[in-house]
Amino acid sequence: MSTARASARWIRADLRARRGQALLTVLAVAGIVTALIVSVTLLEDGTNPWRGLFTESRGAHVWIHTGDAPDVTALSRLPGVAEVAGPYRTAPVTLTLEGKKSPVALRGMEARPPAVATPLVRQGRWLRPGDTDGVVVERSFAEALGLRIGASFPVTALNGASHPLTVVGLADTADQGFYPEWTPGLAWTLTSTLARVEPALGRSESVTGLRLVDGEDTLPAVHGAVTLLNDQIRRMSTWREVRAAMELDNRLLGLLLALFGVTGLVAAALAVANAVGGRVLTQTRDIATLKSLGYTRGQIFGLLTVEHGALGLLGIACGLVCGQLVAFFALDGVPLLPPSPLPLLLIILGTAAVVVVAAALPAWRGGRTPPLPAVPAAPPRGRLSRMARLALLVRLPPALVLGTRDAFTRRTPALLSIFGLAVPMMMITIGLGCWATLDDFLRHPERVGQAAALVVHPDKLPAEEAARLAAADPQVRAVYPGAEVSALEPEQTRTVLARALGTSAEPYPFRVAEGRMFAARGEALAGQGLLDLLGVKIGDRVRMTVGGTPLIVHIVGRVVEPDQDGEVLSLGMDTLAAKDAVPPQFYSLVLEPGADPAAVRARLLAASGEKLEVARVVNPADRLSVIRVVIVALIVVLSLLGLANLLTASALGLRDHALDLAVLKAMGLTPRQVAATLVTGTGLLVVLGVVAGAAAGASVVAGLVDLQGHTSGVGAGIGRAPSPLTLTVAVVVAVGAALLVALIPARRAARAQVPVTAR
Amino acid sequence: MSPPPIVNTVNLVRIYQDGGVPVPAVRGVDLKVEAGEFVAIMGPSGSGKSTLVHMLGGLDARTSGEIWLDGSRVDTLSESAWALLRRRKIGFVFQFFNLVANMTVADNVELPALLAGASPREARERREYLLGELGLADRADAAPAQLAGGEQQRVALARALANRPSLLLADEPTGNLDSRNTRDVLRLLGEVHRDGQTIILVTHDARVASLADRVVSLLDGQIVDDGAVGPVRRRPRASAGDVVELRS
Ligand SMILES: Nc1ncnc2c1ncn2[C@@H]1O[C@H](COP(=O)(O)OP(=O)(O)OP(=O)(O)O)[C@@H](O)[C@H]1O
Ligand SMILES: [Mg+2]
Repeated sequence: MSTARASARWIRADLRARRGQALLTVLAVAGIVTALIVSVTLLEDGTNPWRGLFTESRGAHVWIHTGDAPDVTALSRLPGVAEVAGPYRTAPVTLTLEGKKSPVALRGMEARPPAVATPLVRQGRWLRPGDTDGVVVERSFAEALGLRIGASFPVTALNGASHPLTVVGLADTADQGFYPEWTPGLAWTLTSTLARVEPALGRSESVTGLRLVDGEDTLPAVHGAVTLLNDQIRRMSTWREVRAAMELDNRLLGLLLALFGVTGLVAAALAVANAVGGRVLTQTRDIATLKSLGYTRGQIFGLLTVEHGALGLLGIACGLVCGQLVAFFALDGVPLLPPSPLPLLLIILGTAAVVVVAAALPAWRGGRTPPLPAVPAAPPRGRLSRMARLALLVRLPPALVLGTRDAFTRRTPALLSIFGLAVPMMMITIGLGCWATLDDFLRHPERVGQAAALVVHPDKLPAEEAARLAAADPQVRAVYPGAEVSALEPEQTRTVLARALGTSAEPYPFRVAEGRMFAARGEALAGQGLLDLLGVKIGDRVRMTVGGTPLIVHIVGRVVEPDQDGEVLSLGMDTLAAKDAVPPQFYSLVLEPGADPAAVRARLLAASGEKLEVARVVNPADRLSVIRVVIVALIVVLSLLGLANLLTASALGLRDHALDLAVLKAMGLTPRQVAATLVTGTGLLVVLGVVAGAAAGASVVAGLVDLQGHTSGVGAGIGRAPSPLTLTVAVVVAVGAALLVALIPARRAARAQVPVTAR
Repeated sequence: MSPPPIVNTVNLVRIYQDGGVPVPAVRGVDLKVEAGEFVAIMGPSGSGKSTLVHMLGGLDARTSGEIWLDGSRVDTLSESAWALLRRRKIGFVFQFFNLVANMTVADNVELPALLAGASPREARERREYLLGELGLADRADAAPAQLAGGEQQRVALARALANRPSLLLADEPTGNLDSRNTRDVLRLLGEVHRDGQTIILVTHDARVASLADRVVSLLDGQIVDDGAVGPVRRRPRASAGDVVELRS
């Protein structure tokens, strides 16, 4: 305890003497924590929009559908109930758009939006008192049907009467899941409008939402409501069902996140260990002095751990604040929530543990410093490394020779420095590889099995007419007839999707990753997910029931399959039974390179007099764009780390050569040559580290993405290493920046008057 | 009974292993130093002087033999017990000063006092007194690197005395100083010695040794001459003749 005051003095003096380095450690750790928090938040928000919507709309945890309006006062007295939304009268109606009928729940609301479970108007406006024909439509429902503000919304009530309504707003809600996973679609009108559309109370139901004090604890409220309302209840739903319905398949994102988290932790460990390790090495003499003054081994250990661990913890605290702020401002307009407590806690505890361990290991080594300051911590000298001899052999200038020699006089720190630069560089390369893979998804959708940009459903036209119209467009390169039926796997327990596209003679350009394209009747391609599901290999024959017809399918290849977790069987139309294949259900259109799908779609719609249904194919990479933010954050943080490691390396180099500098100058080297010597020493390590890291990253990135693709069912074959150009630029920039950074202390040291002191 | 000697070594041996070859640095030294004595240790380079004082301060471990400080046996102590002992009883002055480069002169001097549990105020008062005595009061806020060698060594001396150690060990404290700085340091050593400080000082310099009550000569790790001259607390300045004798 008595050491506390003395240690505080020492720490204060030490921190003051190396403010920049200490700041960098704090920044590096803060950067890592910020990046982790931001990516967790973004990914959470991207994969599970429920949380954001629920919080923003002050959603209700439990929804109760009853015949008549329930007793609101009694409901609000139920255990755990904080507020009650509704009851709202809701009538089932049918929306008819271009002959297509969709069921809609039409909900009667007031012109003043409710305080609980508020619909969040994203476009247009909320209902106004005079809006007798106005309707606000739930956004995912509107998007699925292509409804815009001002579009007509003709609904038919159960009594058969039609009512032309008009869309005045689009709103998000956490009351129910997205369309079409959750049906019927939801739309809000004024209660007066609803009374006009569906006058009969008996044909509508009453919907009441309960907002609870503690959302985790729904049971008491649910039980209470059941006891209270008993047989009046037609249906109930809780927030858990809504959340589940909104969740995307986030295995890809989850894995990326885990990868990123591990990267971040490794990076944090490296940054702290390198900083502390370098510091301990440069301070051997001072530590020995402390020991000769009466510090014990344990106290030195404690002192160093506390000093550097505290820097790390400070970094974590800063990162926590920054993370929340950045996450808040990252997507302006869309308010983000702090990530849920569990990942946040994991991030904090994980980085804290890593930081403390990373500080403790070198601190322990520092504690074992012998108390004899007389023993100099001089680097082994006088021995030219093989590298330096090589440099001499090819007649390099003296600065280079000396620098090359210096680089390796201390093996372990040299290797640590190389490693400390190689790891961030490897991670950066992996990040660039993920970027390249995403670019590839977007630029060459055919490589992820999305050769067709548009899908045409004949709808009201005969199939041949639709095919003719599509083929007539100048920018349509090819038209492939298609049909989707369900296929039963051999045990007849699970259905998978069977997608027929093109014919054996003229197959759709599937992206065949292994094996070959189907070329005859009875041959088919499978996605990785299907191969795993059936436990079969390429070349196997499988008995399946395709569209009700038993069939022996010869699987001749594997396709890259982004849909349905890869559980898709792809085959030719001629393999399907005639009843399924004629006429084709739809046509997939492959466009000329560079054609704008939206323009082609508009032309086709016009040519057919709006009778065709033309849909754009959604690229899976569009959903993954949040990953780009993560990648940029990753690169920034990793660069910061590389910088921290670099400064440690150059500080070590300077320390080892502080004495030599005087000698070098005495030998007649100009300050410039002295600086060059120092920069060469550090630069050699930089080049080795950066090149090794980039090479390692480039060689593993495609494999990593493919491994991920395999586990998610998409299948291997999508991973891309960054292009040679990108990689070269990255390496050159990294080395260049590193040399510039190394030059500053080197120049200062070369200019400085070097006192001839003993070690 | 008379009080036990401050330092008592019994057949003290230190053998280094240099690449498998045993290098005996200290070979059976019996040395007794009474409280208040000023002992100079002399000898040619490599004779084991530094090794001996390092062992007395617990900075180096003995190979065999016994070390007694203040009547208790200390050679069996653990590393941390030694550290605690150093804190309370031993002050060190090294040839190369070994000031903590990042700390100011004031902090360097206060550090041992704080370490021993003194309050910041006590530590400051002691530091102000010591630096004042050493004529360094106005350099308190300077960094060690800004001081001349003699000044640095005086700071090191102040630091060694900060805890009123019962034993002051100095390994060639003037080895790196010019004659003027050497004189300053020696004057100081003389003063603290007059105040009753026990000092063991390693030196090559006969003029330095001439200050001591007693000169011990080492050769090849063994005591070849123990020139205890006159009574303890004899006025140190009258010993030029002894030095001439010893140097021959
Ligand atoms: N760490 C060590 N490992 C191996 N041998 C050592 C070590 N330290 C000292 N020695 C050897 O022990 C012997 C005594 O060394 P010591 O430093 O005690 O001599 P010294 O009398 O202080 O010499 P100087 O007057 O040069 O300081 C020398 O031969 C030296 O080479
Ligand atoms: Mg010596």
